[in-house]
Amino acid sequence: MIKLFFTVVYIAACSHIATAQTKYFTKAGKISFYSKAPIEDIEAHNTKGVSVFDVSTGQIEFSVLMKGFEFEKAKMQEHFNENYVESDKYPKAVFTGTIKNASALKLSQDGVYNTEITGNLTIHGVTKPQTIQAVITVKDGIVSAVSEFTIAVADYDIKIPSLVANNIGKTVKVVINVPSYQPLGSKS
Amino acid sequence: MKFKKKHWLLILLVCVLAASIYAYREYNRKAADLMSVKPFASIEATSLIAMYETDEQKANTMYLGKPIDVTGAIAEVDNQQDTLANVMLGKSDDMHKVSCLLDPKSIKELKKYKTGDKITLRGICTGYLMDVELNRCVVIK
Repeated sequence: MIKLFFTVVYIAACSHIATAQTKYFTKAGKISFYSKAPIEDIEAHNTKGVSVFDVSTGQIEFSVLMKGFEFEKAKMQEHFNENYVESDKYPKAVFTGTIKNASALKLSQDGVYNTEITGNLTIHGVTKPQTIQAVITVKDGIVSAVSEFTIAVADYDIKIPSLVANNIGKTVKVVINVPSYQPLGSKS
Repeated sequence: MKFKKKHWLLILLVCVLAASIYAYREYNRKAADLMSVKPFASIEATSLIAMYETDEQKANTMYLGKPIDVTGAIAEVDNQQDTLANVMLGKSDDMHKVSCLLDPKSIKELKKYKTGDKITLRGICTGYLMDVELNRCVVIK
């Protein structure tokens, strides 16, 4: 379903239909997560999040490949993929939601918008409702977005062995930064 | 008897030391440079895309998380301040491509190539969103 949505959006993007600009997308969304624990802090980064949103409906989607997260230490990355998020079985994390008051967004002119997005986040095959705050900025015609939220690993059925429980935080801070959402009709 | 005990203690100490060094190095190990890693498969970009378009799950069981050599024409290069470079392989008018994020060490090597050139990149396949995604890519030829 998500792929279908992206496909439709992409076809629309390539077809250069001269309609009012309502859809935006990116293939270069940055997603980082941070976990603080008594023994060590862990962080990982992924620069290839795919996201699309439609101002007319407020619908937004964001997908990321779990194996695309890069850690400083190879062992952490292996544990993350093999033991915690089981990325062979569940290769993607997906957020689908609706931007509150999307009709108030005037993306054709410079501005800063504090928005709330309500939706569902799927990680490790588990879907949970998630409300996030996001700031959408338009500057010199470039639409960018940032968001930060915290998730509890237990909510997504991610089991951390008691042996390393002190090494890994029970909550993870997720930071999303999309430097540039491309309007439909332009190249990605 | 006394000597024997000392002897065992020494062996034990060496073992503990070796285990500690191993654990420390393993803990601090960085991701391997893909230049020195044997690729799991070599494939044309267009074939890889076709496989993912046909059956994503099957393609994932074959390639997900594995180092692969992908050969194709450079459709587009997105180079951000020499710290982050992404190469799109495939036909420029195709909807799906192979999106290769370069290892920063390989960015210099990429400058020898221009759009349209044929290139072989080795990267870890991380899956499929709008494109087939490869990370930590190095230029092979």
